[in-house]
Amino acid sequence: MRAWVEAEAEKCVYCGFCEPLCPTLYPGGHRGYGPRGRVNIAFNIVRGGKHTGETLKSIYSCLLCGACNLVCPAKIDIVGVIRASRALGG
Amino acid sequence: MAKRIPEDLRKLLGKDKVIDDPEIVSLYAREPSGISSEALAVVFPENVKDVSKIASYAYKNGVLIYPQGSTTDLVGGAVPEPKGIVVSFERMNRIINVSILDSIVDVEVGVRLGDLNVELAKHGYMFPIDPGSVNITTVGGAVNSGAGGLRGAKYGTMRDWVLGLTIVLPDEAGTVMRVGCRTTKCRQGYDLVRLIVGSEGTLALVAEATLKITPLPETMATALAFFSTLENLFEAYREIKSSGVQPLVMEFMDYETAKLAGEASKSPINVEGHMLLVSVDCNFEAVERVESWLRRVMEKNGALKVYTSKTIEGAEPLFTIRRSLFPAQVAMASKLYPGRKKIVYMEDIAVPPSKLLEAVTAVRRISEEKGLKVSIGGHVGDGNLHPSVAFPVDDEIVKKKVLEWEFEVSKTAVELGGTVSAEHGIGLRKKEFLKMEMEKLGSLKALEIMKGVKKVFDPKGILNPGKVV
Repeated sequence: MRAWVEAEAEKCVYCGFCEPLCPTLYPGGHRGYGPRGRVNIAFNIVRGGKHTGETLKSIYSCLLCGACNLVCPAKIDIVGVIRASRALGG
Repeated sequence: MAKRIPEDLRKLLGKDKVIDDPEIVSLYAREPSGISSEALAVVFPENVKDVSKIASYAYKNGVLIYPQGSTTDLVGGAVPEPKGIVVSFERMNRIINVSILDSIVDVEVGVRLGDLNVELAKHGYMFPIDPGSVNITTVGGAVNSGAGGLRGAKYGTMRDWVLGLTIVLPDEAGTVMRVGCRTTKCRQGYDLVRLIVGSEGTLALVAEATLKITPLPETMATALAFFSTLENLFEAYREIKSSGVQPLVMEFMDYETAKLAGEASKSPINVEGHMLLVSVDCNFEAVERVESWLRRVMEKNGALKVYTSKTIEGAEPLFTIRRSLFPAQVAMASKLYPGRKKIVYMEDIAVPPSKLLEAVTAVRRISEEKGLKVSIGGHVGDGNLHPSVAFPVDDEIVKKKVLEWEFEVSKTAVELGGTVSAEHGIGLRKKEFLKMEMEKLGSLKALEIMKGVKKVFDPKGILNPGKVV
C-alpha cells in the first residue's frame, strides 16, 4: 500500500486545479486543508516523514467527497491516497 | 534570528496567522515549474494593516519576503529562494464592492478569478482575463504575473483591466499606497499601476485591486475545425483575422495534442487533425450569419470537419478539448515516462500573428532535432503559443535537452519579432531569455533601468529577490 501511495502521489504536478472544488480548503485556512496539500503530505509521510499535529489535521479533515478526483489532470486517485494514508496510521 | 522570526510574527499578527510547521511550510515552497526550495514560515495576512506590519518587520530585520497567490506559476516566480517568509494572500479573499454603473469591482487580492466571475455573473458581467488556471488563479497572482488567457485576442491582459491598486512598500513604515484611479481615464503622472502589473511581486506587496469589468456577451458563434495541414489551418486563421471581425477566442492545438486532449476529456468529438477553435461574441440577431460565415471560411480552407454552435451553452462541448490542453500535456508526460517523477515544461512565447505558421513549424523542427516529444497549443488570436515538453527529474540527459530546447524556442520567438514570455512572466527560469531578447533589441540598458526601479521600490532587496532581473 505504501508503494501505491508513493506512486500515485508522485504523479502530482502541483497545478492546484483540485483546490477550488475542495470544501475544506477555505475553512481550514492553509494549503494543507486542500487536496494538493494532502497528496503531498501523504507522499512525504510514506517517504519517511513524521506526522505533526497540522499534518494529521490535514489528512483527517478530508471529507472524502471526491470532487478533486474529478478534475485532477494527472488522474490521481486523491481520495484513495488519503484513505490509504489513514489506513497506514495517519 | 531565523528561529525567532515565526515567534516575532505571531506576536505581531496573532498566532493563527503564522505557520512554521515544516511539512505545511514545504507546501508553499514549490510550484508547478518543478522549482522548489525552503521557507522559514508562512504568514497569512487578513487585511491591509497586517500586510503593512509584515513589510515593516521584514524591512527592519532584513527578512526576505515572498508574496504568493495560489502558486500556479510556471517560471519560478513564486518560490522562496533564498530562504525567507512566504506571505500567502489566500485569506484576503473578499469582494469588497461591485459597481455596475462604474463598471468596476474592488477586491482583496486573494479572490480567485473563477469565484469573482461567479459573483459578477449575477449582475450580467464578467472579468474577462481567463488564464488556463482561471478557477484557481487569484487576482493577486494575475496582477503580479500580468496574466492573459483564452480571451486575450479581444480583451488583452491584466494590464488592460487593472485601474487601481492598494500596495504596501517594503520600507520602515510598511507604507500603504493607493495608485491608479476608479475611472478608465486616468493621468496620474507616471503610470505606477502598469509598472506593478507584471512585476512578479518584486516591487511592492499588492493587497487590493480595482478592476474593470465588462458585460457578458449576449451570445456567441463558435466553430471547431480540424485540418490535415498546418498551412490550411493558418490560411483559415489568416482569413478570419483579416476580415474585420474581432474574435473573442482563437485557440490552436496541433493534431497530436488535440488527440491526447480528446482522450483526456473523453470528448465524443473525433479529433481528425490540427485543431482551430474560434468564437465570436455577437447579438442574437447576428449569430446565425456569423456562425455560417465561420463554417464557410473553415470549409473553404480545407477543414476536414467543422462543428458549430450559436449559443454560449452550446459551445461548451466544443471547448472541452481545448480546456484539456494541460491534462493532455500531463498525459503525454505520463505516457513517455510511466512511473517516474516528471516535470512538464510549458513555454509561453508570443509572435506577431503573421509569423505563427513559421513559429509552429520551427518549434516542431527544434523538438524533432532534440528528440523531444512536443505538445503545442496556444491562444493564437494574439500570437501566444504554449509548446510543452516533459522530462523525468532523475534524467539529467533529457533535462539538458529540454533546457536547450527551451532556449532555442525562445530564440526563435525573438527572431520572428516576438517575445520570450507572453503571459507567464520571467521568474527565475527566463532571466537569461529576457537578457537575450533585450540584447537582440539592442536594449540591454533597459535591464539596468529595471534594476534601478527595483531599488527605488525595494532598497534593501528583500521582496521576492532574484526574480525578473
